[in-house]
Amino acid sequence: MTDVALDIDRTATVYRKARDPKAILKRVGFWLLIILIAVYLLFPFYWAVVSSLKAESQLQMTPATFIPRSPVDSSIDITFQNYSAVFQNEKFLRGLANSVIVAVTVTAFALVIGSFAAFALGKLRFRGKTPSLYLILSMTMFPQVAVLTGLYAVIRALDMPAIPSMILSYMLFTLPFTVWVLTAFFQALPDDLMQSAQVDGATPFQTFRMILLPLTLPALVTTGLLAFIAAWNEYLFALTFTTIEPNARTVPVAIALFTGEISRQEPFGEIMAAAVLVTIPLVVLVLIFQKKIIGGLTAGAVKG
Amino acid sequence: MAVATDPRKEDTPTKKKGAGDLLKHEQRLAYWLLLPTLMILLLIAFYPLGSVFYASLTDREFASATEPEFIGLQNYSDLLSVKIRELPAEIDPATDAELVDPETGETIFARPLDILPREPRRYKEAFQFGLFGNRYVVGATDPEFVLSIWDTLLFTFSTIVLETLIGLGIALSLNSKFRGRGVMRAVMLVPWAIPTAVSSRMWEWMFGSTRTGFFNVVFQSLGLGDGQIPFLAEESWQLPAMIAIDVWKTTPFMALLLLAGLGLIPGELYEAANVDGASKWKQFTSITLPLLKPTLGVALVFRTLDALRVFDLFQIVLAQKKYSMASYAYYQLIDSQKMGYSSAASVVIFVIITVFAIMYIRLLGVTDD
Repeated sequence: MTDVALDIDRTATVYRKARDPKAILKRVGFWLLIILIAVYLLFPFYWAVVSSLKAESQLQMTPATFIPRSPVDSSIDITFQNYSAVFQNEKFLRGLANSVIVAVTVTAFALVIGSFAAFALGKLRFRGKTPSLYLILSMTMFPQVAVLTGLYAVIRALDMPAIPSMILSYMLFTLPFTVWVLTAFFQALPDDLMQSAQVDGATPFQTFRMILLPLTLPALVTTGLLAFIAAWNEYLFALTFTTIEPNARTVPVAIALFTGEISRQEPFGEIMAAAVLVTIPLVVLVLIFQKKIIGGLTAGAVKG
Repeated sequence: MAVATDPRKEDTPTKKKGAGDLLKHEQRLAYWLLLPTLMILLLIAFYPLGSVFYASLTDREFASATEPEFIGLQNYSDLLSVKIRELPAEIDPATDAELVDPETGETIFARPLDILPREPRRYKEAFQFGLFGNRYVVGATDPEFVLSIWDTLLFTFSTIVLETLIGLGIALSLNSKFRGRGVMRAVMLVPWAIPTAVSSRMWEWMFGSTRTGFFNVVFQSLGLGDGQIPFLAEESWQLPAMIAIDVWKTTPFMALLLLAGLGLIPGELYEAANVDGASKWKQFTSITLPLLKPTLGVALVFRTLDALRVFDLFQIVLAQKKYSMASYAYYQLIDSQKMGYSSAASVVIFVIITVFAIMYIRLLGVTDD
């Protein structure tokens, strides 16, 4: 079903007529474009990887080298000392575990609760729809700094430990986002789907669960990924709420608080090594889920 | 989950019910479904946001024992009072002619300090501009905040335009079927996946002011500059550097959302258009863009809100060298302990964001049915 639906794209046609010189040119152009995109998006990350493989003396070399080279004879000289230092850093490893717990829980809550609200806002008829949308959005229109002190007071009043309080407070920016994005996706689904389900005797909630939810799976995965990453990367709330509970620190805070062996010298190579290490799980996550992002699911369903 | 599903199980409609009942039922279901979201948001947002509004009307200090006093709109007037004055040319008392700088040949204007009002409140120069041969100075009671508004708007506009164009380009390219597309989708998210706290440091390093920095190495090898360009210290480079970092960092967000939006467009539309012999460009403008509009609208709303609130990036890379609106509010709170003043700045940010949000939503019809 999906393959037929996806058969709309240009390259597929290009493959079929690969002999045609014009098509070959098109294909070369297309790949150049892909390579350009990849280089643009990856180069700073590459620079971080290279920096993480350099020792302090190599980081200070001028001009900076594109691969780690020895300052003495310019031969290639890679060191893993930054990585071994990071792996021996208990705070970093604990931060990694905390981040996983926080980000996974936040994403799950935001998706479940958010998709309920989004279904109501996108497909049901009720009074007060537009005000609700605006109300939800207005929650994210303040800078984080502004809500910080008030939120801290709320957390103290609820007497919550750091990890649940991070989970709760991250709803402030993930929930409006998931609700809005999913609402747009629900709206995009054809109304006949709902109507024909209703004719068949399904309640709106059954329609939501059995028909609309599976159809928006690509949107759910996409939104979930973006929400996960937002929670994974959050810094200011995490820094504030974990000040009295250092064991609950998440990865960005742990990295920011890295201290070097020599006092006051920042361990830049280690920071870059840690950056590489926290990025890799996310890349793996995307690789696992990317098949689900493939859209075109509705195309087949509407036909029937 | 239980909160939303349980109550409606009791009143699942039996098959034969009037249209009115059905509508009423639908309405009730909608409220139950919205309830968890609204409850959570009210729990965590109601008090903090209310206290920001209230604090903005007081001279409250952060972490201080002194009792705050209610001062009305004083904070707002301190933040936002702006006066524009023309700078007259200096007149040579001997010849009555305008004074001209002997080296550059340009007219010498009066000093802003002498022109801007000092009583009852002192206005300091924010910036100058020329118009029709005249020279004007913009003075403000808090020039730093006024400048931060201007810089943030400029930052927002540039980043949104660039990342929408690049994001759309990437989404369209990756929507094609080709070998390695899965890998490219993972690659695409790398910039967004790196915590801002870390990626900002990464770029700070690349923008280093000596040839340990990537950009100075490249610029010098291209014959531009002497390898000592202080990208982050020199005024004219600061904002472009921030824009470059943010576009790189947030384009994936745009691209991924647009990619998902493209996936929802039924393939038959393109097949039909192909049969009709419509050109690719025509297909793009009459099928892709209109159907992508809701997704694009939502993506734009959230990106704009984020850009207007930009904080980590400015605070980490530029600290107090140049402010965004939010980093200014932060330093007023943390460094100067002026909680009331900082809250007022936050409310100003909120108002600016509201204006943008409503504009977008109206313009793009995000909430239309």
